[in-house]
Amino acid sequence: MAFLSTLAKLISPLYPMAKRWLYRFHGGIFPQYNKSLSTRNPIVPAILPSELILPLSQAVGEVAEPVVQVGDRVRKNQLIARSKEDAERKLVVAIHAPTSGNIVAIEPRTLAHPSGLKELCLVLQPDGQNDAIENALHSDGAWPQTPQALKKLLAESGIIGMGGAGFPTYAKLPNVPGKIHTLIINGAECEPFISCDDLLMQTQAQEILLGGQITANALGAQQLLCGIETNKPDAIAAIQQAITQLQALNQAPVPMQLMQVATVYPMGGQKQLVYEMTGIELQSGGHASDQGLLMMNVATLRAIYRAVQLGEPLTSRLVTVSGLGLESGFNVEALIGTPFDELAALARPKFPLDYPLIMGGPMMGVQMPNNHVPVLKTTNCILANPPQPREIQMPCIRCGECMDACPVNLLPQQMYWHAQGHEFDKVEKLNIKDCIECGCCSYVCPSHIPLVQYYRHAKAEIKQRHAEKAAAELAKQRHAFRLARLEREKAEREARLKAKKAAVKTMPAAATNEAATLVTENATTLSAREKAILAAQAAAARKEGQTDNDKKTKGQSLGTNKDKTAAAEAAKKRALEAAQKARATTATPKTADTPSPVTPQNARDKAIAAAKAAAAKKAVALPPLATDQITDLSANEGFTSTALQKEEARRAAVEAARANAKARKALKDSGTENITAATAEPSTPMMDARQKAIAAAKAAAAKRAQTPPQSDAIAKKDRSE
Amino acid sequence: MSWLQGLEAIGIFLALALLFGLALGYAAVRFKVEGNPMAERLDQELPQTQCGQCGFPGCKPYAEALARGESEVNLCVPGGTEVMIKIAEITGRDPKQMAEGVEENPPIETAWINEDLCIGCVLCIKACPVDAILGATKLMHTVIQKECTGCELCVPVCPVDCIEMRPVATHLKNWQWPEPETLVHNKPLASLLVREG
Repeated sequence: MAFLSTLAKLISPLYPMAKRWLYRFHGGIFPQYNKSLSTRNPIVPAILPSELILPLSQAVGEVAEPVVQVGDRVRKNQLIARSKEDAERKLVVAIHAPTSGNIVAIEPRTLAHPSGLKELCLVLQPDGQNDAIENALHSDGAWPQTPQALKKLLAESGIIGMGGAGFPTYAKLPNVPGKIHTLIINGAECEPFISCDDLLMQTQAQEILLGGQITANALGAQQLLCGIETNKPDAIAAIQQAITQLQALNQAPVPMQLMQVATVYPMGGQKQLVYEMTGIELQSGGHASDQGLLMMNVATLRAIYRAVQLGEPLTSRLVTVSGLGLESGFNVEALIGTPFDELAALARPKFPLDYPLIMGGPMMGVQMPNNHVPVLKTTNCILANPPQPREIQMPCIRCGECMDACPVNLLPQQMYWHAQGHEFDKVEKLNIKDCIECGCCSYVCPSHIPLVQYYRHAKAEIKQRHAEKAAAELAKQRHAFRLARLEREKAEREARLKAKKAAVKTMPAAATNEAATLVTENATTLSAREKAILAAQAAAARKEGQTDNDKKTKGQSLGTNKDKTAAAEAAKKRALEAAQKARATTATPKTADTPSPVTPQNARDKAIAAAKAAAAKKAVALPPLATDQITDLSANEGFTSTALQKEEARRAAVEAARANAKARKALKDSGTENITAATAEPSTPMMDARQKAIAAAKAAAAKRAQTPPQSDAIAKKDRSE
Repeated sequence: MSWLQGLEAIGIFLALALLFGLALGYAAVRFKVEGNPMAERLDQELPQTQCGQCGFPGCKPYAEALARGESEVNLCVPGGTEVMIKIAEITGRDPKQMAEGVEENPPIETAWINEDLCIGCVLCIKACPVDAILGATKLMHTVIQKECTGCELCVPVCPVDCIEMRPVATHLKNWQWPEPETLVHNKPLASLLVREG
């Protein structure tokens, strides 16, 4: 290895790519690092800006819910926003006040995001007293022994991955102890210009390692590896010294090891560093924790230490302020929410800062839409590089340089080709989801094609297409369900109608049967039991018809469609009844004519016969030819007349409502009186219609109800005889 | 004995025919495909807005009509040219120009009910093909934005015109990186220099 590195160093001036022999992963580039711009100056203590902007939405997860109001005075470390519901599901972490002061506004502000969108932010005006709540998280200094305990504390302390992705740390940890065998501390910091992790390792090595120990201990990990690039000799020395000290003090329950890794961009990427340090290749699309590995940034581990040991929530972080446009770059312990422009102004800009600042490094950073955006928990660098004249973009010459530089073994030129042609399904097949957007391909492209921008666009487009596909699938399901529901409702309605028809048919049939038996045979042939059964059947049939009808009458108020069908059914039923009664007259005359005093008639049978007679009398109005034709006709008539009435009423109601809505549109601001008056009006015609329907139904019911008493009376008379 | 040889050949071929016939018959039963696979594939490509702008009551009937070859390939308005090309590919027919006045890549919109004006007539609820409108008789209605397909079927039926189509708002979760502007010049560089000079 030593021989190889000497050889690589020797020939690198002639063949720069010889440096690629020094590390395991494919590709990578060797840019100008410019780290000394900020490392040569000491760390600046926190400055109190004019205002602190604290966005309620984080990089990942849902929006947090503020627990303070405008005008409230808050103390440093006070909880000001947290998740509304279950934090585990919503991926929300708590937000704490970075300093004491007043909440002056909760309003949409431009976010530190390339979109330039505005989202709700808490605006805190510092009062300069820095009045802090000590041990805000109520920590007793004891190390959590289970992953659950640590996760709970992390969610409360508001710690998210501070390396850049910003994934809530508690969500990253597995629930089961022992699932992670190796915890890797990421101190590679491979992006040019950025030096905050370097300086943190130099100054707070013990806190970082203790944070690592706490996490590894709680997760039951077997070893702790710390990877640092060889271009940070001071950090390597500091960490090595801290490891020896901790081991000497017996404060390191988990064995620790420092590993120096080659200086190459992007060594700090999770997949690259894991492969370099352990030889394990992380699965595409999987989590590192599935393979027993967990990687954490040094700043995250330090925040964990401070939360566990001191009960201090995450309210500040080390930020590099650097760039070619600044006289003296530095690192600052910046409060979360400090505006970029105020920090950049401290570094003595060479030119007025009227160009967009960059959040992050020159390779992966994003230009800010506005320089008055806040430092986030993930902001590691504020870069002020004055805009350079852009190189003219030339056509792709298919040289394959990008392919050689890609650290995740993708085919950048193929992906570019398809992304440019909007063939996103082909881009997806080339595994664009594994692209880490490191920018190596754009860096080496001799045609100056902004490849990463194409990939970002393609990724967003693919994501949207998937979302659309899922939405279409959902719409399809819902549509199918709706169709099935309509079908079912129709079938149910038909079944109800059929049942009712059958009931109507069986009732007179049973009656005529009984009557026929009465006339032709002696009542003595019928056993009491049989009679009872027949009577019960008839009664049940009658009852069913009645209740069904009641339902229909009630249902009329539900909807216009139902109104129509209900009205039609009611009319049909009435007509049918009438017709059957008329038909019954042909059968009943004998009964009516011959009271048959000899036969010991059952009271009930007599009653029925009497009822039949009454019905027959009623039905005389109808022509004796009461055939189905007439039934249908009358049903139709009944239907059309009621339906017409309903329709008219509805139309009137809708007219009135429309007029109302117009009036309301016009007089929207002229008080509520008009509106209430107007709202009362349209309902009246509707009400009228409904009341009419109800009255009709009531009348029908009353008519029906009249018959049983009659028969009862007759029965009584009969008995008295 | 040549006639016997001829018989032998006929016998062999008859036996083969019987064998293959049985095999095919078995395969036809064993590997029977349920439904119309082409209609299924077409249905997958359609945007499932169920808007009925093709003249069919929903996406599936249109897909089935296409599979039977009874319909034109360019009727899906929300899908636009992209879906038309996919349909043409699946059905193996020639692509056809979209009808006049069909907007390419129309902005995604969802229905929105002005709840102050809603009279609770349930007409829109009946019109919605995906049951995305919530409400009851004489009670205010509202659209479940997540479920709305933007088919606009509820807009014309509203008696008080309180439904409007609104573009979906851009927020952090659905924001997209813009496509880089292509600065590639297809002309020779010399001509570029001459123009600039």
